[in-house]
Amino acid sequence: MAEILALDDVQDATVLIGKILTKKGHTVHTFTEEDEAIAYAKANKIDLAILDIKLKKMSGVEVLGLLKADTPAMHAIMLTGYPTVETAREAISLGADEYCVKPIDRDELEEKVEKVLKGKEKKCSNCKI
Amino acid sequence: MEPINELKYLKVFQKVTKLISMVLDHQQVMDTIVRELPGLLDIDAATIRLLDPSTQTFVMGAAHGLSMEYLSRDHIDTEETIAMINSGYPVAKTDVDQNVPFKDQDLIHQEGIKSVLTLPILFQDSVIGILRLLTRRNRVFTSEEISFSMALAEQVGIALSNGRMFTEMETQINFMKDVQDISALVSSTLDLDSVLHTIVERLSRSMGCKACTIRLLRAETNQLELVAAHGISEAYSQRGEIEGERNIATALSGEPVSIYDVSHDARVLYDDNMRKEGIKSLLAIPLKVKGEVIGILRILSDVHHCFTSSEINFAVTIAEIGGTAIQNARNYRKITLLFNQVEESEHFIANILNCIRPQLLVVDKDRHLVLANREFLTVLGKEENEVLGADYGSLWVGQQCPMGNCPMEQVLETGLAASFEHQVIKEDGPHWFERTASPMLNNDGTVEYVIEVISDITAKRQLEQEQLERVKLQGVVELAGTVAHEINSPLFAALGTAQLLEDELESKELIEDVHTIIRNLKNIGELTRKMTTMTGFESRDYVGDTKIVTLR
Repeated sequence: MAEILALDDVQDATVLIGKILTKKGHTVHTFTEEDEAIAYAKANKIDLAILDIKLKKMSGVEVLGLLKADTPAMHAIMLTGYPTVETAREAISLGADEYCVKPIDRDELEEKVEKVLKGKEKKCSNCKI
Repeated sequence: MEPINELKYLKVFQKVTKLISMVLDHQQVMDTIVRELPGLLDIDAATIRLLDPSTQTFVMGAAHGLSMEYLSRDHIDTEETIAMINSGYPVAKTDVDQNVPFKDQDLIHQEGIKSVLTLPILFQDSVIGILRLLTRRNRVFTSEEISFSMALAEQVGIALSNGRMFTEMETQINFMKDVQDISALVSSTLDLDSVLHTIVERLSRSMGCKACTIRLLRAETNQLELVAAHGISEAYSQRGEIEGERNIATALSGEPVSIYDVSHDARVLYDDNMRKEGIKSLLAIPLKVKGEVIGILRILSDVHHCFTSSEINFAVTIAEIGGTAIQNARNYRKITLLFNQVEESEHFIANILNCIRPQLLVVDKDRHLVLANREFLTVLGKEENEVLGADYGSLWVGQQCPMGNCPMEQVLETGLAASFEHQVIKEDGPHWFERTASPMLNNDGTVEYVIEVISDITAKRQLEQEQLERVKLQGVVELAGTVAHEINSPLFAALGTAQLLEDELESKELIEDVHTIIRNLKNIGELTRKMTTMTGFESRDYVGDTKIVTLR
């Protein structure tokens, strides 16, 4: 099971992500403040970060850049209520695995998370080889 | 030698009187006298020299029995002798070849001259020349001989004066005819080259001289430029600048200059060139227009010639006529040049006006059309000659053009530029026109003409409209995106929570209710998706003045 970080300026959204993915057996750490989320990721091992693009002080893409700089192997799913070509292109270039548009369906979120984490396992097994 | 007796004096006197009464030309008189006197007076040679009033020197008129070398010597006699002659007294000398202080001694010795009787030629108590009787043997002239010779010289003076007067009258009549002819010729044309050529050619002929030249002052450099010549060689005309010659300087100051012998005159610089060209005498006349010297006219003679006052007056008259004709021709040339320049400028401006896209017209203060470009005429469907002079208002009859805000009228009323835009419905749709009128003021500051420019601004208007629509759409899209974004996060929380709740419920009725919530939340999600991906909208009526939009 994976260590997941969820960051969204709407607290209910982080709570929901936590509930859905906890049920799937993952450990979810929820944040509404960018600083706290970044500090946590620096101090702890994170397998997957689910980041909203519109945050309070920074953009989710900027946070992704910082997290990836510290932990390049970390996976990331970007969530946004206002998809644009520019943010999608930037997020993918910084190493985001998925770019999802809110409101995302519960099943779709579960599928995306599983898919991304499986990719990680594959990468790790490949690494072992 | 035996002196001449009284009877012989009488016979000689009669013969001389008869000789000089038979001819009227003064040159012929002089030639006859010097040729006949040696035989009559038992002398070896005789010369007549005439007074050149311009230089107060005696110049050769006629000679007999002497060599050219002797005649060409620098000094006629001693200064004392000349002074005596100028005072009206005769001077008789013997042993002149022995007289040491006398200049040109070698020439006199070579010529063999021993005795000379120099006599003043008087006319009305004025010395007009000298008669010299020369012998190659020593001869002492008696007082009777001297008195007789004085009377003879006086007779010569009368004959010369009569001849001169006759020649002068004849010359003046001829000159008058020539003045008329030349005046008519130079007045008949305004071509400068033709005027100049006529003057130099006719003046040479009228004065019986070898050549004539005209030099005009260049205003830019104040230097003389040879503009016409007749009777001189190319090599002579190229000899160099002549501004340094004193005869030119005097002529430029406005005074005519007559030079009898160019080879021995300090006022001539190019005497060597003149000798090669065969020029012996010259007359330089200022060309004047309203008292201002514009150039120099020079008459060149290939024989030694003392220009008479009649000849000088004639040349001055021709120079005055010529000066005026030259100035007229120059003015005509300038006017023609200016006219051509104006015509070219007019053509150039007309081309520019015809090439510009907007319609352009100019009306005078009485509202009459004075100028229109091709575009205006094309739009109006008329030829230029149909509309020029037409009343401004009549141009717009049948045209969709409101006259209420006419900018031309505003300019005439206020003197300030004015413009307005109006719409014309055409087959391909509405067209917008901008009409701008600007005043052209006269020196008093009042409007003399009004320039109106009519531009088709339809494309500009359409572009502005499209720009406005684009800005409006951009605002709507940004607003819709922002609203969708703000809704999507809470919508995501609500939808996900409802879906989790659905798993927890066991009551079929409650599960149906949660289904209803989830379905409607998904409908809202579909709407926000549309809002974030919209590319346009259509406005439609709702209730009253209110409008709603359909997203595309």
